[in-house]
Amino acid sequence: MFNASFKKLTTSLLALAAFALITQGCTKKVSDTDTTLNIVVRANIKGLDPVRANDLYSSMAIANIFESLLQYNYLKRPFTLEPSLAESMPVASADGLTHTFKIKKGVKFQDNAAFKDGKGRELTAQDFIYSWKRLADPKTASEGFWIFDGKIKGMAEWIEAMKAGKATYDTPIEGLTAPDANTLVIKLTGPYYQLYDVLAMPFSAVVPKEAVDKYGQEFLNNPVGTGPFMLKSAGDWVRNSKMTLVKNPTWRGQAFPTEGEATDKANGFLEDAGKPLPFAEKVVFTELVEDTPRWQNAVKGNFDYVEIPNDVFDKAIDPADRTKLSKELTDKGMKLSITTSPDVTYTGFNMKDPILGKSKELRQAMSLAQDGATLIAKFYNGRGIVAQGPIPPGFPSYDANFKNPYSTHDIAKAKALLAKAGYPEGKGLPEFTLDTLADSKARQQAEFFVQNQAAIGIKVRISANTWPQFQEKIKTGKVQLFGIAWNADYPDPQNFFQLFYSKNMSPGPNDSSFSNAEFDKLYEQSLKMAPGDARNAVYQKMRDVVVEEAPWIFGAHRLGYRAIHGWVHNMKWNDIQNDFPKYIRIDAKQRAELSKKL
Amino acid sequence: MLSYIVRRTLYMIPILIGITLLTFLIFNVLGGDVAGRLAGRHATPEQVASIKHELGLDKSIPEQYINYLHQIATFDYGRSWSTKQEVSTMLSEGVTPTLSMTIPPFLASIVFCIGLALFAVYLRGTIFDKGIVVTCLGLMSISSLVYILALQYFFAYHLGAFPISGWDPSFSGRWQYLVLPWIILFVLTLGPNILVYRSVITDEAFQDYVRTARAKGVASSRVYMKHILKNAMIPIITIIVIDMPFLITGSVLIENFFGIPGLGGMVVKALNESDFPTIKALTVVTSIAYMFFNLLSDVLYSVVDPRIKLG
Repeated sequence: MFNASFKKLTTSLLALAAFALITQGCTKKVSDTDTTLNIVVRANIKGLDPVRANDLYSSMAIANIFESLLQYNYLKRPFTLEPSLAESMPVASADGLTHTFKIKKGVKFQDNAAFKDGKGRELTAQDFIYSWKRLADPKTASEGFWIFDGKIKGMAEWIEAMKAGKATYDTPIEGLTAPDANTLVIKLTGPYYQLYDVLAMPFSAVVPKEAVDKYGQEFLNNPVGTGPFMLKSAGDWVRNSKMTLVKNPTWRGQAFPTEGEATDKANGFLEDAGKPLPFAEKVVFTELVEDTPRWQNAVKGNFDYVEIPNDVFDKAIDPADRTKLSKELTDKGMKLSITTSPDVTYTGFNMKDPILGKSKELRQAMSLAQDGATLIAKFYNGRGIVAQGPIPPGFPSYDANFKNPYSTHDIAKAKALLAKAGYPEGKGLPEFTLDTLADSKARQQAEFFVQNQAAIGIKVRISANTWPQFQEKIKTGKVQLFGIAWNADYPDPQNFFQLFYSKNMSPGPNDSSFSNAEFDKLYEQSLKMAPGDARNAVYQKMRDVVVEEAPWIFGAHRLGYRAIHGWVHNMKWNDIQNDFPKYIRIDAKQRAELSKKL
Repeated sequence: MLSYIVRRTLYMIPILIGITLLTFLIFNVLGGDVAGRLAGRHATPEQVASIKHELGLDKSIPEQYINYLHQIATFDYGRSWSTKQEVSTMLSEGVTPTLSMTIPPFLASIVFCIGLALFAVYLRGTIFDKGIVVTCLGLMSISSLVYILALQYFFAYHLGAFPISGWDPSFSGRWQYLVLPWIILFVLTLGPNILVYRSVITDEAFQDYVRTARAKGVASSRVYMKHILKNAMIPIITIIVIDMPFLITGSVLIENFFGIPGLGGMVVKALNESDFPTIKALTVVTSIAYMFFNLLSDVLYSVVDPRIKLG
């Protein structure tokens, strides 16, 4: 009897597996007309409201549904701003405090039940004023308000009045006016040369009041923008799993750029110059946390490109030429894209610490003890550049020839500086604490840091934290040393230098609580300068101060290695532009052909 | 029995209050400055204060706790601090994938493991019995991650027999994504379940009443099914009930590797991000489930063994 039931169960399971094998294994057919772009993201998309665009993957989805006044040219480097919903680049007053934008005529919001007859109405300048008031509204509690905080005339007063219940969205803000339906005037409280950059960020995207009124807090699941793609129905987003965006039939339209970097033509990035966007009928975002299935799915063609995970890196890359994919992947028609991330990893010193904050020589010695090249080789599979300062390659003022005298691994020099600081061989120093995250990679990196410092006689213990604990410790100054990274919000070095400005000290973004009068003076000077060579020269002076004072031990500027299928065209990856899907062309016939090899 | 159930249900209230108080203290009092963390790296102290006000974190601790109890009573946990999604919607969206993933292998495992354990006891001491014990120990000594990686690689990636990962919310569409997770969950339970059930059934097989039954000439199959199995059901039910909350909390690893948007992954994310509204809701739901399943096991004892009187 037991034997029979066992047999039955085993037979059923085998039958199930066989059935799956037959139905799945034999019926996979790739359409030669489907132009869907399949993107995989490694964390969840949280919501689709621009005021909540505070994480990478939500921003990516938001930037395809919503648009801002400006955008970056897809091909040009360094990054160059161009109009998006603006008709042309804005006109600035002589003092740089007033900026007048002409809004494109005929731009429609996506069709939605929030509008009369379900048809999206035309965008006006007032929509921007509404959207930015919403961003500033204390009830919204947006993480993105910093883009306008203290910058727009009358906004602070409006916020105070809102808090006191003495203002509404109809109450005007002096610095935000719309003389007519297509003109928007922004008046600033002081020079703010990063204004145009933040006006390309998803936080500043325009939303229609009707939709926010209709959906209330559920607007984040019922987005209505002006962008090239739209969430047709709320059911197209299975949260924590998959989101399908479809082409917006009423989109304003845009052509693929006709010029870019010198190498773009040779690299095939101008093949579609002047052609109407977007190319894809649909964009599907799949959320998958684990590296292994993400990679396996991508190799099988279920995703169009993928960042190569650490665990498979050596297998995926040609051992003879690490700038190429392995033969196995090349044979499948896959290509490799290598890009520098706009970031810097670092170990920060708490400058308020009575020992670490007082001795420049001690910090310099600890910086010299760090073996940056080995760190990159061990923990990033060599995918990184030893950082010589805070500014990553590709940013204005970055100098590839600049060598930070304390970013080399030089134990003898480190020991000499340590002795000069009054701590020969580390004698007289207490054991320091390095705070880090609790994941295995962060802990291993911390162990490596401990080993590096031990080589000059400095003892360090590790304290592992969850991300919220870690952030809180830093914000409240309860750290001595902490390993962290900064990713640029926009391609202006100011975004990195603000991290050293004394008025931004913790709980502000200056996590090290660095305070230096010379640096502050230069920073304040740079804020008043228009982009250009003169400002870049000031930025370099600021970099020199930071390098000499060593409030951070610079780690790496990371490199992104992505394996891209042969049917994907125009993928010029960068980490700044979230609206890239509109530029990507999927060659459906090529996909059907190449899929046979997968 | 009804009065017993009512009484036990009422006992749940103080237990639940104790759990809520503990959860509240851990996260609200010891959890630190959540508003500062939520405000992000650009935030000024004014922005942090503003967020604190919007979340109601500037109210007194008793006021916040009463608000929490009100949320439990009304099943309205507000919105997640991390995703800004409604917590009740998150739970209802997460529970279906989790239950779809956990219930079938759970039930299959109970039937299969009890059957095999009975069979092993029936043939105890033979090569078959020893083979089962050794196989179970072997299965248990392999990490769950190895099963996931190996089976996903071989069946899904290499053979293409199943999708590597994914989820379809429609009833008919979801099964193709679940077969492999089911097999893994089923295999994961085999080792421990068979060994425990075998041990429990072996204990019963040597009881006096079994010898008496045999002496009376009762057929072997009847001895096993009617006498041994029935008496072994009390400890077996206890083991099954202890495992039941897992049906709701799911398996984080399997959900993450197979892209199943269930509650397991939600728990980990909520903890990592100090998403207190989600943690509160999940804690209450899981606690109620534990208490309910405990009550269920007591009721089932009396069903299986009429000598046990509830009251």
